[in-house]
Amino acid sequence: MALATVERLSFAYPGAPPALRDVGLRLGRGEIVALLGPSGSGKSTLLRALSGLVPHFHGGRFGGRVVVAGIDTRVARPAELAGRVATVFQDPEDQVVMSAVANEVAFGLENLGTPPREIWPRVERALAAVDAPHLAGRRLAELSGGELQRVCLASALALEPELLLLDEPTSQLDPAAAELFLEAVVRLDATVVLSEQRVGQAVALATRVLYVEGGRLLLDAPPDRALDWLSSNRPQWAEACVDSTQARVEAAASPAAADACVEATQSPVVRLEGVSFGYRPALPVVDAADLEVRRGEVVVLEGLSGAGKTTLAKLAAGLLEPQAGRVVRNGRAGYLSQDPGRYLVKETVVEEVAFGVGGDRARGRAALDTVGLAWAAARHPRDLSSGERERLGIAAVAVAEPDLLVLDEPTRGLDPERRAALGGFLLEYAAGGRGVLVATHDRALPAHRRVAVGRREEAVVGV
Amino acid sequence: MSPAPAAALLAAAAAAALLADRVLSVALLAAVLLALCLRAPARRRIYLLAAGSTAIGVLVLSPFLWSSPEGTLLWQGPTLPVVGTLDLTTAELNAAALGALRLLALSLAFAAYALLLDHDRLVAAAGWARRSTLAVALATRLVPSLERDAAGLADAVRGRGVALQGVRGYATLLSPLVAGSLERASSLAEAMEARGYGRSGSTRAPRAAWGRRDRLALAAAPVLVLVGALWL
Repeated sequence: MALATVERLSFAYPGAPPALRDVGLRLGRGEIVALLGPSGSGKSTLLRALSGLVPHFHGGRFGGRVVVAGIDTRVARPAELAGRVATVFQDPEDQVVMSAVANEVAFGLENLGTPPREIWPRVERALAAVDAPHLAGRRLAELSGGELQRVCLASALALEPELLLLDEPTSQLDPAAAELFLEAVVRLDATVVLSEQRVGQAVALATRVLYVEGGRLLLDAPPDRALDWLSSNRPQWAEACVDSTQARVEAAASPAAADACVEATQSPVVRLEGVSFGYRPALPVVDAADLEVRRGEVVVLEGLSGAGKTTLAKLAAGLLEPQAGRVVRNGRAGYLSQDPGRYLVKETVVEEVAFGVGGDRARGRAALDTVGLAWAAARHPRDLSSGERERLGIAAVAVAEPDLLVLDEPTRGLDPERRAALGGFLLEYAAGGRGVLVATHDRALPAHRRVAVGRREEAVVGV
Repeated sequence: MSPAPAAALLAAAAAAALLADRVLSVALLAAVLLALCLRAPARRRIYLLAAGSTAIGVLVLSPFLWSSPEGTLLWQGPTLPVVGTLDLTTAELNAAALGALRLLALSLAFAAYALLLDHDRLVAAAGWARRSTLAVALATRLVPSLERDAAGLADAVRGRGVALQGVRGYATLLSPLVAGSLERASSLAEAMEARGYGRSGSTRAPRAAWGRRDRLALAAAPVLVLVGALWL
């Protein structure tokens, strides 16, 4: 008997076009299902329908039927489904309620009415299941993004759900943290639906693959057949499934990527000489770093989380002033921060982009077209999906055509096709005689030069 | 000390400051609360800045917005439409100082609550008022989130080559900041509902029982309010 059944499900958020159209599927017990699809395709909405959040929390027009563990979601509220179903959302910061790790994991158990004597043992077991028992006594504010997301997974596991829904849970994590998280997912004794932009890793874990596009379920097949289908119909997704890091590195460093290699005679657009910076006295995050970006060049900053990539990028863009050394810029810099979807300032998408060019909507529309968002010009920026917001952020910075374009983790939340498009866009942007500096964990992003940002005694060296 | 008795003491100190009518008494209460806040290891700057600036605002403005015929006239200025003649008397100055110190004590009591107390244990101890206590705890967490979001917004705008100048420049960030907070609150509410919040029959994880010091602190709280009302 199926654990969950979705029958002819259609759904539209209030005042918006349909997000899901006539979706039907059955989930068996113990399955690990990879849910793939471009950003804004309806993946998150499908997960919310399985947890009852759609339609109860969001409102909108709901057609069809979703039954989970014998309960019709039209009748039961999400809080009543909690325990049978658990969800881990994309951004860990937006889902934590308490201040301390153990209390956070206990929160759901308390809500479900778990007998008090069972709560702490279940908290311990859940933290152990995600290799995080050592975090039990820590404050959430002290944790890294990866640790925080594992605590969120533990909070879901503590409920001992039959169906676990994971909505791009690794989008805020570096590769190492993402790998640890996904390893913990494989060990679970539950049916798992994993929406994930790290396509290769998701498919490698899955027993079944779903592909959603435009709100329709286009593919429902085991991984081998899914790969065949993707190869024929969505080749960039199939390429992303061949997720050997080595292959990606080779692809990135291939002559094709370096074809537009910069002539050594090109002038630097920014040069950092012996630059140091720290947020606290005597604790430099960047220590005596040297870096140069030439016109026509895409330079990638690589390194572990907390290595100082963002700080270095902000120093290059002029958002931070060095405490020692100097930064010489020849031209104007533009900077796109991490998670730009949080930092939206206007009421429509086109106004958001035009903001950087004195409200020039024509230029704004052209920039939107470049990132494939022309269709959304009149929509509110906060109505877009996370991947769409990321692209909006890129357009909003690039529209002013700064001499130096600095991007911090721009591929987060982007699907393989959009990542490839972004890579092409950056090479083209640099080829126009400008410089591009990207801080990223994504080794598939093409670059002329990769700079390792390492740590020694908490400080950046070797740049 | 457990957070619930500590919160009761802080609330009592704030109430005593509001009820007391001597500048020196309120100043003493504010000084004690300030000393408490300074024990916080981090993030205290924004709270102290907000508390200090609002208190100074009240001290500077209120003598001109309220007039008292009592006391010695220290200064007389021009006559303005609507406001009338500007003047400054010792009685107005005393009342302004009292008002400013009361506000300072109130703000510092909140700062001490936000910075020093374990809000999780406070929520756990809340019993029948758990929902309200959780709402207050989450609202308290909003302060550092807003601070972080404001810095991120300013960076995002500057990163697009738009200069932020003066109060008007930064005021343009207010609306997106509020929109971002609402969005964050909505996401949190969704996550809470998905974890069964609001379901009937909830339970509490076992916690350590109160000690003697906690019971003493709880008893001292109403006494402090009474002292503030009658003798300070």
